[in-house]
Amino acid sequence: MTQASVTGVGVLDDIAVERAKTGDLEALERVYRSYEGLVYSLARRICRTEEDTEDVLQETFLEVCRSIRSFRGTGTGSLTAWVKRVAASKALMRVRREKYRDADDLPEDGPAVGVNDVDVPLQLDLEAALMQLPDTSRAVVWMHDVEGYTHEDIAEMMGRTVSFSKSQLARAHARLRGWLGGGH
Amino acid sequence: MSELLAVRDGEGTAWARAHVDECAFCREELDLLYRRVAALRALPALRPPRDRWGVIRAQAARDRRGRVLKRTGWGVLAAAAAIAVLLGVRTVGMLGPTPAVGQTELDALMEQSRGLEATLRSYDPEGRVLNARAAGIIANLEDRIALVDAGISQVTTRGGAREDLIGLWRDRVDLMNALVNAHVTRATYVGF
Repeated sequence: MTQASVTGVGVLDDIAVERAKTGDLEALERVYRSYEGLVYSLARRICRTEEDTEDVLQETFLEVCRSIRSFRGTGTGSLTAWVKRVAASKALMRVRREKYRDADDLPEDGPAVGVNDVDVPLQLDLEAALMQLPDTSRAVVWMHDVEGYTHEDIAEMMGRTVSFSKSQLARAHARLRGWLGGGH
Repeated sequence: MSELLAVRDGEGTAWARAHVDECAFCREELDLLYRRVAALRALPALRPPRDRWGVIRAQAARDRRGRVLKRTGWGVLAAAAAIAVLLGVRTVGMLGPTPAVGQTELDALMEQSRGLEATLRSYDPEGRVLNARAAGIIANLEDRIALVDAGISQVTTRGGAREDLIGLWRDRVDLMNALVNAHVTRATYVGF
């Protein structure tokens, strides 16, 4: 039996996962308690606002409750990957939907560090620098470099091309490098 | 930067790899890249500021109930009603001198239940947003109604006693009343 984590409502194990698949609300709560931090952290790094993040958290677990019966994986390891995938899709969907808010993507041509960057303090805290990036490039950095998704995965979830994902990653790193200097 | 990323990801050209080996500046940049990513991965995990389980649970319970009702198309309850009528006819001899009284009560309870279902639908509960407390109360009531429905289905299928059926329908009406009240109270509150 695989143990995923100890939670406030008990241990999430294979039996709890099987019970959750039957729609058992207690077991589903265990799933929620085990993954709420993981999902929230992932969504918070991708979404711009707290409100969006909480919406993604809620949408993710509603989807988990609806679709867990068709989850074909076994064990908590594959459940973790599945829950993360659902969360990432929801967060990226929101980024796509909210794109009208700003000229979001970093341009594919032109200087990697733009003129607007003179307004940004030279030495930013890493977390602040991350949040300073446009939504799409922040999402790509987080998904690729932290969560370990491939450019192919990211392109598919974002509805963009692989080269777009690669280009956003390169430009985001160029910006972070400029803002953070040699600190990171 | 894209060349450095390609080298890091094992996709760099032979020329780029050789260059990084030879060029101190690019080696330093690659090292910075590794350190930056390590620092990103080391950022602390975050916790949601509010507990959302109450809202999610309520919605999940509503979805589940909706799925069950859609799947059966109210068929279970209709079948239960039909079987209850048959049961009433069949058990006339067994239930003593006043069988019609029990059947009348059963009919009245089923009619009341149908009326409450109609009232509930008129509040459009699916289209409203619930606060966590109301959602928890409503989810609990819906769970209990689902259990009673399962009981009704079981009793009617195995041809159980009419008293049991009357008791279950009475429970259902009480729970439906509580559910309608929960929605009405919330609607009034929102109205202010």
